[in-house]
Amino acid sequence: MGSDAQVTMTGPRLLHPGAWWLWAVALSACALRTTNPVLLCLIIAVSGWVVVSRRADVPWSRSFASFLRLGMIVIAVRIVFQIFFGVRIPGTTLFTIPEVTLPDWAAGVSLGGPVTLESLMAAFYQGLRLAAVLACFGAATSLCSPYRMLRALPTVLYEAGVAVTIAFTFAPQAIVASRQVREARRLRGRSDRGVRAWSASAMPVLEGALDRAVALAASMDSRGYGRRGSSSVTVRRRSVGLVLLGLLAIAVGSYGLLDPSAPALFRIPALGLGAAALIGALVAGGKSTTRTRYRPDPWIGPEWMVSLAGVVAFGSFVLVGRMSDALSPSTNPLEVPVVPFVAVIGLLVAALPAWFAPHPPTLASASSPMVVAA
Amino acid sequence: MIRFEHVTITYPEATTPTLVDVSFEVPEGELCLVVGVTGSGKSTLLRAVNGLVPRFSGGILAGSVVIDGRTTSDVAPRDLADVVGVVGQDPAAGFVTDFVEDELAYAMENLGVAPDVMRRRVEDILDLLGLHELRHRPLASLSGGQQQRVAIGSVLTAGPRVLVLDEPTSALDPAAAEEVLAALTRLVHDLGITVLIAEHRLERVVQYADRIVMVPGDGRPIVVGTPAEVFGGSVVAPPVVELGRLAGWSPLPLSVRDARRVAGPLRDQLASIDTEVFSRKARSLGDVVATTDGLQASYGPITALRGVDLEFRAGEVVALMGRNGAGKSTLLNHLVGLREPVSGVVQVMGSVPHRLSARDVVRVAGLVPQDSGVLLYHDTVAAECNASDRDAGLLHGTTRIVLDRVVPGVDASTHPRDLSEGQRLGLALSIVLASEPPLLLLDEPTRGLDYGAKQRLVEVLAQLAADGHAVVIATHDVEVVAAVADRCIVLAEGEVVADGPARDVVVHSPVFAPQVAKVLAPLALLTVNEVQLALAAASDSSYS
Amino acid sequence: MTVASPSRVDAVRLGLTSWVLLIAAFALGIVAFGWPLFASASSSLDSSHSSDAPWIFVILIPLLIGVILAELADGSLDAKSVALLGVLAASGAVLRLPSGGVAGFEPVFFLLIPAGRVFGRGFGFVLGALTLFVSALITGGVGPWLPFQMFGAAWIGFFAGCLPPARGKIEIAMLATYAALSALAYGLVMNLWFWPFVSAGDTTVSYVAGDSLVENLRRFWGFHITTSFGFDIPRAVFSAIFIVVAGRPVLGALRRVARRAAFEAPVVFVDSPVSATSN
Repeated sequence: MGSDAQVTMTGPRLLHPGAWWLWAVALSACALRTTNPVLLCLIIAVSGWVVVSRRADVPWSRSFASFLRLGMIVIAVRIVFQIFFGVRIPGTTLFTIPEVTLPDWAAGVSLGGPVTLESLMAAFYQGLRLAAVLACFGAATSLCSPYRMLRALPTVLYEAGVAVTIAFTFAPQAIVASRQVREARRLRGRSDRGVRAWSASAMPVLEGALDRAVALAASMDSRGYGRRGSSSVTVRRRSVGLVLLGLLAIAVGSYGLLDPSAPALFRIPALGLGAAALIGALVAGGKSTTRTRYRPDPWIGPEWMVSLAGVVAFGSFVLVGRMSDALSPSTNPLEVPVVPFVAVIGLLVAALPAWFAPHPPTLASASSPMVVAA
Repeated sequence: MIRFEHVTITYPEATTPTLVDVSFEVPEGELCLVVGVTGSGKSTLLRAVNGLVPRFSGGILAGSVVIDGRTTSDVAPRDLADVVGVVGQDPAAGFVTDFVEDELAYAMENLGVAPDVMRRRVEDILDLLGLHELRHRPLASLSGGQQQRVAIGSVLTAGPRVLVLDEPTSALDPAAAEEVLAALTRLVHDLGITVLIAEHRLERVVQYADRIVMVPGDGRPIVVGTPAEVFGGSVVAPPVVELGRLAGWSPLPLSVRDARRVAGPLRDQLASIDTEVFSRKARSLGDVVATTDGLQASYGPITALRGVDLEFRAGEVVALMGRNGAGKSTLLNHLVGLREPVSGVVQVMGSVPHRLSARDVVRVAGLVPQDSGVLLYHDTVAAECNASDRDAGLLHGTTRIVLDRVVPGVDASTHPRDLSEGQRLGLALSIVLASEPPLLLLDEPTRGLDYGAKQRLVEVLAQLAADGHAVVIATHDVEVVAAVADRCIVLAEGEVVADGPARDVVVHSPVFAPQVAKVLAPLALLTVNEVQLALAAASDSSYS
Repeated sequence: MTVASPSRVDAVRLGLTSWVLLIAAFALGIVAFGWPLFASASSSLDSSHSSDAPWIFVILIPLLIGVILAELADGSLDAKSVALLGVLAASGAVLRLPSGGVAGFEPVFFLLIPAGRVFGRGFGFVLGALTLFVSALITGGVGPWLPFQMFGAAWIGFFAGCLPPARGKIEIAMLATYAALSALAYGLVMNLWFWPFVSAGDTTVSYVAGDSLVENLRRFWGFHITTSFGFDIPRAVFSAIFIVVAGRPVLGALRRVARRAAFEAPVVFVDSPVSATSN
């Protein structure tokens, strides 16, 4: 195993998907703590830069652009919302929309009214925050191969992972099959264009798919699928116990979130405990299966560094939030946002994976063991 | 190694048992061939070896099946995975992962093999089956033969002592089939693995078989023995064996080499026969039905056909041969108008097929595609026939009559997907035939058909040609070509490499020659029937 | 020749732990989706304090789904169920491709509801979650909304399996009604999730922490009417029409495969009658 890691440490390979997702989640947690437009734009820029530097040349890596587009749509929607549904707050009026009051069965809300610059800027900041979160998710999606993400699932979710892998393998075949069936309609004297052709070709594709599922299940059974070691009663009890503990903690935490009079202990710590207990249950459940994994993605130096980069950025934001108010620039009265130095440093650290994460392999260097899942 | 003791298997909803009182034994290290017509219970027998029947399919198993000391009634299929490996007809349908290497490791992951042992075994299997260059490839990008070898490799990594294969070469061209069979024989001879294989194309496999299990179906007792014992008396046999029976050779030869060694006297006897007499050119050819002129076709960046000039006349049966990917299906698709040529002209009965509406096209050209299932939409055979009558504007019941002529005895209420291969092909063929198109195209119709069904198909095609249709059949099956084709076109890389009378094209080719031609070379005789007629003519001339 | 197919099989059995988890998940779902309606003033959920408490649900919900899937799979998810899940999830995802989830159009329910009906509620739950997951992975749309979509679709599949037994036209009518209602409910619930993010702060249709449930509901209704309700109605109608038109063949195909896969067929081993004349 050690020699395996030596070989793969320096050559081109795909990073463990978990590292990218940790980094992306940390970055989006940063975005959620602030409405400072400069910082948010910097977050989007950092995620874009890392994607451009380290994405593989495969179809699923193109999705970042669509996430950016979606982010812009969200900003636009939020601003439009503000224009139509804004509550009147005094400020510099830009223009006025005629007021309309909806009838009572539609909740009797009133639309329109004067639109102020302050409210538009507030809406813009909030839309930008959502767009930054979307950019982080888009970065994680573009950088991770869905196939390797599935193989990195914890053992206890193996069955669900297999179902998803089968779905992945099957989906392109379903598309091809539906085209073949639709074209074959011509062979029977029916047109292959139009809605009728599309809808009539769905049933044969579905039936073919279901027959193949049965054949696939037989093949899986013959190759040992579903072989379980005897999980001892204690292991089972342990995982069930952890599950129940986790549920209890989450219930308490949810109540604490809703009711302000509950002690602070009942909020985030309870939810954290609940999440930890559930994760523990998943891990404990995984110990009872007898499956092994063939050449799993290693978690070595670069993975730690990437995850750490994200955590450092998050830490810097927490620090700034404690020290000053720069994370939430005020819109009423409108003022120029202050750019906190510490947060910028944190984000630059988060951009470091663009340099020290390993390059994804190109198809030419496919001799490496960790090959691009195209 | 494999022992069946008084095994009777009944499926959950069947009224009669599928297998009755089957008992046989296969010792270790033998290649055992399971033979029988479609629907006779071959697949049931094979699936009973690792317990899929009855645990996966439901049903009643009387008696016992013992594999390497383990009884399937005690052990589930998943626990037999390290003893028995099962490979199906369609390898792509059994793939669980996306990549070759992961697929090979899948069985070992299930069995909980240690990671370094997994690594070693995967490398060994890659070498054993010649797959090391393909290790990182996605499974969907492999050819049929490569996929079949990956499927075999994926069950071998678990280290089984028994390998069960259900028609592994039916979808493959001759070269790929040879690769797979060579790999199997190496497993048997080098590693001592016991292989149980079901095949319709006996001529490919019988020379390697140590033992034959013949399942006649209908509850009759099975016949077990060496190939010479079993084929001596059976009706279904590969051409080389039939030739041996006709010529009275003993022991019966199983391979071309064995036959050639004893065929000297027969060759001398027939040396003076003019084989042109047997050509079916005696049948007068009619008008030109279809032409292609400088046909150029491509799929995206790949050129599938280059400058193909062909002509098809009424009354002739044309065989289209070539490797997988040579352009056979593309040519057929263009002739029926499913695709538009990049340049060049395709004409059928004076019109350009891809410009015709669907209703008009079926009146001039009909295609039975490779997967006949894509033509079938409805719940029952009766519904299909009625829909076919409606679509083509025919009298109600026309398609049913055609179906009964092509494949008799199909129950009208069966779901089309529950039909056997031969029956499904017959149904698709009768749907296409119902509107009586002058140009009839068939894409790989012989896949999965047993000898009897192939014989029926040959008769139907000969009759259609006699009725004035132009029949074009794309196939790998050289025996069918020998039996029915007047003319043979060989395609390679999108170009026509050979186009002439079937006899001239196939006889001297090492790849396309039927077994009889290989045995009797340099005589140009293609089938056992022709040899029979030639012998009769020779004895007549010796009297005159 | 043809045998009546089973009207319902239970491809994924639910044990006691599974039920407890499902009920807990349902309760958590109500909080995760509906917290704006219950939050009181100055609670941690009031986002004007820029807390990321609501985003904790983004982590909790998938964790809970994961635990439920692990529990359901424990011993109950054999190769047949997994293969069917994979294939049906892929078919559902492929169905969703042309529309891409635009305007909330979810043709994925066309397969989900009949499959939940034929294969049982456990299967329906897992299929709902997996179909949306696969669809998101295929279209590259993994976003923070995904766990909630998975959650919603899983419940649609679950309740489809809870419908009372019926056959023929009554069954089709029942499924069509359920399809319409569940489409409306799904739209409502997803909009409820989306509501605080889009209208946070100071609009006339934002939630006001601490206000009464009725008032917040009124504001949400205003938000809903003006946004997605216009898309929900045609989607519900379309879903119902689809079930009416294509429900019978789809149910037939699913039942046929349930029979062929022999989910609940009896497996019997007997000793063979000793035959004196056998070889």
